[in-house]
Amino acid sequence: MATPRAPQLDDLFSALADPTRRAIVERLLTVGELSVGDVAVPFAISTPAISRHLQVLERAGLIERRIERQWRFVRVRTDALAPVESWLSRQKRHWTAALDRLEILAAAQTPEKQKS
Amino acid sequence: MSIAETSETTLRVERLIPSPPEVLFAFWTDPAQLIRWWAPEGYEASVHSLDTRPGGGWRITLHRPDGSVLAMSGIYRIVEPPHRLAFTWAWEDDNGARRHETEVTVKFEATPGGTRLALLQQRFESKQARDNHNAGWSACFDRIAKIAA
Repeated sequence: MATPRAPQLDDLFSALADPTRRAIVERLLTVGELSVGDVAVPFAISTPAISRHLQVLERAGLIERRIERQWRFVRVRTDALAPVESWLSRQKRHWTAALDRLEILAAAQTPEKQKS
Repeated sequence: MSIAETSETTLRVERLIPSPPEVLFAFWTDPAQLIRWWAPEGYEASVHSLDTRPGGGWRITLHRPDGSVLAMSGIYRIVEPPHRLAFTWAWEDDNGARRHETEVTVKFEATPGGTRLALLQQRFESKQARDNHNAGWSACFDRIAKIAA
C-alpha cells in the first residue's frame, strides 16, 4: 500500500522541475564538488539567483554543503534518490496486488472459449 | 513522451491476463467492477466519481474498519476503450488537498491468449511540469541512481 504522505518526494520533484536546478545537479554529478562561486559560472544569472536555487536543492535533500575556511562547497547527496526508490517499490507492490485481484475477478467473467 | 522507460522515476508493471481487453477495460471504468479489486487487503473502496471521459474527474476513497479513510483522485487524460486509459493520480491529505501528482497510463493489448496489460506510472507535478521536462531529466536521474547505488 502506498503511503499518501510523501513531502520529501514533493520537494525532490519540484526542485528538479526547474531546468537551471537540473543543470546544477548534472554538473555536480559530473565534477563531484564545486565551490558556490564555481556553480554560478556557466549560468548567465546572478549569484543571488544561484544561491536561491542551491537553497531549494538543499531543502529537497539533493545537495549538501561543506564549509572549509572561507570557502563553501556543494555536492550531490549520495542518498538523494532513496525517497524515490522507496516510493516506487511501495507503488509497485500496490499495483501488483491490485492486478492479482483484478485477474481473479476477470477470469470469472471470461467465457471459457476465450480462455487459452 | 520523451522520458526513457528506464528512468528511475517511472514505474512499469506488465501482466498477461487470460481475459479479453473489453472485460479488463470495464474493470477499470465501471465503478461497480472497480471497487471489487481496487482496495488493498483490509480496505473497502468507495467510488465518488468516475467520469471516464478525457478531462473527466475520478475520486475513490479507501475505508478501514477503524473508520480511517484514504482518498485519491485525478483527471482522465485518455480514454480509448478497450485499448488505453490515462489519468492523473494524487493522494489527498487529511484536509482534502491533493498531494504530489503522478500520471498513470494503462494499455490493454489483445493477445492470442487474452490481454497484455501494461501499466506505466510516472511522477510529475502536473501535465505542465511533465511537458516542461526534457530528456535531461531521465539522464539526470540515471546518474543520481548510479552514484546512489
